[in-house]
Amino acid sequence: MPTPELNRRTFLKGAGVAAVAATGPTIIVKTARAKSDTLKIGQWTHFVPAFDEWFDKKYCPEWGAKNGVKVVVDHISVNDLRARAAAEVGAKKGHDLFGFLDPPPAYEETVIPLNDVVTECESKYGKLVNLAQRATYNPKSKTYYACSDNWVPDPLHWRIDMWGEVGMKPDTWEHVREGSRKIKEKINAPAGFGLAQELDTNMMLRGLLWSFGAQEQDETSTKVMINSKQAVDAVKLMSAIFKESETAEVFTWDPSSNNRFFVSGKGHIIQNAISAIRTAEKQVPDLAKKMALAPPAAGPVRRMGSEHLLHCYVVWKFAENPEMAKKFLVDLVGAYNDAFVASEFYNFPSFTKSVTDLKGKLAADKVDPERYLFLADAERWSAYPGYPGHTTAAIDECFNTFVIPNLFARAAKGEQSAEDSAKQAEAEMKRIFTKWIK
Amino acid sequence: MRRGRERSLLDREGFLGPVMILPAVLYVVALVGFPFFLSLYLAVSDAKIASATSHFVGLANFESALQSPTFRRALVNTFLFTLISQALVLVLGKILATCLLQDFYGKSALRFLILLPWVAPISLGTIGWKWMLDSLYSPVNWVLQATHIIGKNDWPMWFGERGLAMASVIGVHVWRLLPFSTVIILAGLTSIPKEVREAADVDGAGFWSRELHIVLPLLRPILTVAGLFGIIFAFTDMTVIYVLTRGGPADGTQVLASLAFFTGILGGDLAGGAAISLFLFPILLIVAILMLRVARRTEVT
Repeated sequence: MPTPELNRRTFLKGAGVAAVAATGPTIIVKTARAKSDTLKIGQWTHFVPAFDEWFDKKYCPEWGAKNGVKVVVDHISVNDLRARAAAEVGAKKGHDLFGFLDPPPAYEETVIPLNDVVTECESKYGKLVNLAQRATYNPKSKTYYACSDNWVPDPLHWRIDMWGEVGMKPDTWEHVREGSRKIKEKINAPAGFGLAQELDTNMMLRGLLWSFGAQEQDETSTKVMINSKQAVDAVKLMSAIFKESETAEVFTWDPSSNNRFFVSGKGHIIQNAISAIRTAEKQVPDLAKKMALAPPAAGPVRRMGSEHLLHCYVVWKFAENPEMAKKFLVDLVGAYNDAFVASEFYNFPSFTKSVTDLKGKLAADKVDPERYLFLADAERWSAYPGYPGHTTAAIDECFNTFVIPNLFARAAKGEQSAEDSAKQAEAEMKRIFTKWIK
Repeated sequence: MRRGRERSLLDREGFLGPVMILPAVLYVVALVGFPFFLSLYLAVSDAKIASATSHFVGLANFESALQSPTFRRALVNTFLFTLISQALVLVLGKILATCLLQDFYGKSALRFLILLPWVAPISLGTIGWKWMLDSLYSPVNWVLQATHIIGKNDWPMWFGERGLAMASVIGVHVWRLLPFSTVIILAGLTSIPKEVREAADVDGAGFWSRELHIVLPLLRPILTVAGLFGIIFAFTDMTVIYVLTRGGPADGTQVLASLAFFTGILGGDLAGGAAISLFLFPILLIVAILMLRVARRTEVT
């Protein structure tokens, strides 16, 4: 029997059949797929791997088994969280619970209010700490658009040996300036206060502003206040620190850079979450013995730093399992004794009684019992973006477009005077506020 | 009868042509056309990242963008980044293509190496460069110190100084686009008839005479098309800048594409981000039309 001839007709017929065969099952499978008992959580890849180990392999499977759901956890790089959230909102499909590292007021319209979750947590696990309350609550709509399970303090990390060379400790910002200059002159070790368009810089510089009595906005969260003498003084101080004791690398940094800078042994001071020193304890234990932590430096007005991170979950309106998501949140807050220890003290509880005997746990650190004790008071010297107002969508855009880091960077680079840089930051913030505040 | 009708449909160019091209048209409409018109709509609205409704605001977003010094700097940076990188890409591409036209030992391996940057995912390649130019552990700096090109106490901060940062992002972008340009120009060079070169040799034309008076004029349509593609890629690129510098230091390498991303996606102001990203559309449209006209007019018979 002669074999069929391959001509245009047979080719097209074959290609058409192949296309239907390839795409058909996906359509059939899609329509046949039923809603499963799954809780999908999207959150960051923790800087302390032990926490993710605990969360993914112990807590979530056990909670899932107890509640009859399969818990699926997706870890997203810290730099990609916001973009991923935007994609999920755009597609109206994604996770049930989504964890942000800074409050997301811009997303209020796409999330389920969590007032009931916060109320239940407060009744069981103590008050929500002030900085988390101000950062996740909209007083206009009286809505908690997110529920914070933890926040992260932002202490100074400093080298005892290097500061010992100049006989000083970094207590106030003037001490930091003078000591850093002397250390750089004597042993050529630079300071590490970032001036880059990234998260750590955003947080550290806000703390510096507040310690000088400056602020981005007023208490009503409607008026821009960045162009003030106090802000200009803070900018001048950081410019001096840069010129006297830093190198241009601080303009290049991403969130992991200051950790690497300090752990490499190159620098004598940074301001960061404790992940930096925890990394040093594991990778360079002999060097870590020469490191210490301290509260943020004090300015003329107060001693204040920012929370390094404020972890908060939202439940999307398009979540497939919203009630289970809320239950997970409440139970997670209740499990914070374990979460706090699993995170090696990185995750501080947002509800005051969700970790019992915080001080005792800090004092029982296996590596260095004395080192972490002072963090028991961390809430006293920590605030949040937008302080003393609320974290609004306008502040959120200012945060994510790096208005504050660039305010300082322009002056430090000598491109503008501190006064002109503050004026430019004010104009930029007013432009952003106009878009959001109606 | 049915077989006859079927035979005539599948054999008709007028029917088969559009059917064959339909998938490509659908692709362009769905993945290019729809987002473009959505951006146009967003740019004249007050849409935010999570807003359920939006209102028409005319050109307010464009006016707001123009008021921002960051936007104005990003506009200047975009032109600098594009023009310098494309000039380098065309010149270096021509040099590489001329070399690849010759026969030599290891030509296939060299061609493979030249094509690698284009083949590798751009974000992966850029992350590699981020480490190559790292502030602490840069192998590039190490080699420069080891070969005494820079002093023992010199350590260039490739992303920390404004000029160096712009040079770095331009350099990585050129590295990435060079293979594409080389391949296009090589195709143009191989299409030049051998007889033309031989005639030039017989007439005693030297290398530069041949290049300037014969090769480049014959290559003009190809160079125009390569330049056009390169300009559009460069104007709209944000990957290299986002990965390497995030627009820093102090917006020193911020371009319109990256600023649109920070404003619209990370900052939540979708309308503002759309307005920034569309700002160059009229300019790019005019550039594309002019360059295609130039390419068409310089067809050589």
